[in-house]
Amino acid sequence: MRGKYHIHVSNRALSFDFTLSRNITIICGDSATGKTTLVDMIREYELQGTDSAVQISCEKPCVVVEGNSWKRQLRELESESIVFIDEGNRFVSSQEFAEAAQNSGNYYVIVTRENLYNLPYSVTEIYGIKSSGKYNSLRPVYHELYRVYGEKVDDSCNIYNTVITEDSHSGFQFFKDVCSDTVTCVPADGNSNILAMIRKAAAENTTPCLIIADGSAFGAFMAQIHMFMEHRTDVHLYLPESFEWLILTSGLIDGNRVRDILETPEKYIESSQYFSWEQFFTATLIDETKDSYLRYQKSSLNPAYLRKREKEAILAVIPKAIRENL
Amino acid sequence: MLKAYFGDMAEAVYNTVVFFKNDFDPRWLEDPFVREMILDVDRSTVLSSGAIDSPVMGIIPPTSLSGGVKTLILIMKEPDRVFNASNCGDNCAKWLLRMGQDRDVTINLRHIMDFGDGDFEIEVLNDKKIAHNMDELLYLAGRYV
Repeated sequence: MRGKYHIHVSNRALSFDFTLSRNITIICGDSATGKTTLVDMIREYELQGTDSAVQISCEKPCVVVEGNSWKRQLRELESESIVFIDEGNRFVSSQEFAEAAQNSGNYYVIVTRENLYNLPYSVTEIYGIKSSGKYNSLRPVYHELYRVYGEKVDDSCNIYNTVITEDSHSGFQFFKDVCSDTVTCVPADGNSNILAMIRKAAAENTTPCLIIADGSAFGAFMAQIHMFMEHRTDVHLYLPESFEWLILTSGLIDGNRVRDILETPEKYIESSQYFSWEQFFTATLIDETKDSYLRYQKSSLNPAYLRKREKEAILAVIPKAIRENL
Repeated sequence: MLKAYFGDMAEAVYNTVVFFKNDFDPRWLEDPFVREMILDVDRSTVLSSGAIDSPVMGIIPPTSLSGGVKTLILIMKEPDRVFNASNCGDNCAKWLLRMGQDRDVTINLRHIMDFGDGDFEIEVLNDKKIAHNMDELLYLAGRYV
């Protein structure tokens, strides 16, 4: 399944409007904001259709999957459905569910506050629900989603002391090269180690510290890092979709196809083939450069990317407040 | 004191909404503390043991309360069981701390709940250490969730 889908769910009293553009969306936030009510309305429409007095407008079927029979429910679905899962469903954190979701070709909207480490969801697809209006007014109480983690770039930093990348692959090799001599660039050997490394940097007074990771698969790690950063001004995050996305966006790769992909990635990314956008951008970059001097491989950076022109083109994509402090 | 076991806990009730639906005792809503929690978290007023006035949905039964407040009520009224408090949003955190002031309250958490900027005492049962603020809680419990 690919594409962007607007969903409108309403009854006489309540209305929900939101748009999905990736295969995994997380809804979390305070209690009593309407998360379960949304899932209940979708379930009632699924069971009773228009007799439910619920209206749903969406190009794809919206269904609820829940309980111990979740595997059978998933198997029996129409292909290309939008699957809603309310909190209280233990299976969402299992590897078995992750595998089923990966191969299914559906989009998933999961209500949970747990960090789902088996699912590569984007930091931009973690939402809360906000509402406006009041019961008994003439209009239904209107609910919409808001991004829990914004895209704010903190420009209050002086030169970083430490830059932490999520692994030691091409991205790390690039940033190690571009960082000035006074900046220590270190790989975390996995997203799960990043928080410990920030703590270490803070304890050893080697902040300000910048974390660079693939935003398109960093969702599960975001809550704890955000919490740690909340009261600190010396820890900063830069979460582009991925390092490969930076290269594709830099203009180094010519062609209308790349430009079109970057404008509307959701039109091109088939969820049953690519579990996260990061995987798609990697595959696209490898494919687009396979016959050129920029031939890309993830494990080891082609030195061509460290030439002056190429390096500057990639750096130009990075917000000024960050690149000037590297 | 509030005591929390972080991560998977087999004996904890995971789906608190279903448990509440089948275990609800109307007398619970007569408790002023429960009414105060409902008013604060759901902004709803208890009218009787079977009716609640919600600003969003009108007059609702107790089964239509939020998952968070249902979980708080279960934690309070069923002290011999452990419930999955990750069904509670951060706006429930102060009520968990208040319950823990009067007696030992054990909960299961599968995420790091934000207990606010102030000092508190929460025992992390995984390694029996006490966190006194959010930074300590994140340090002690982060590895388990």
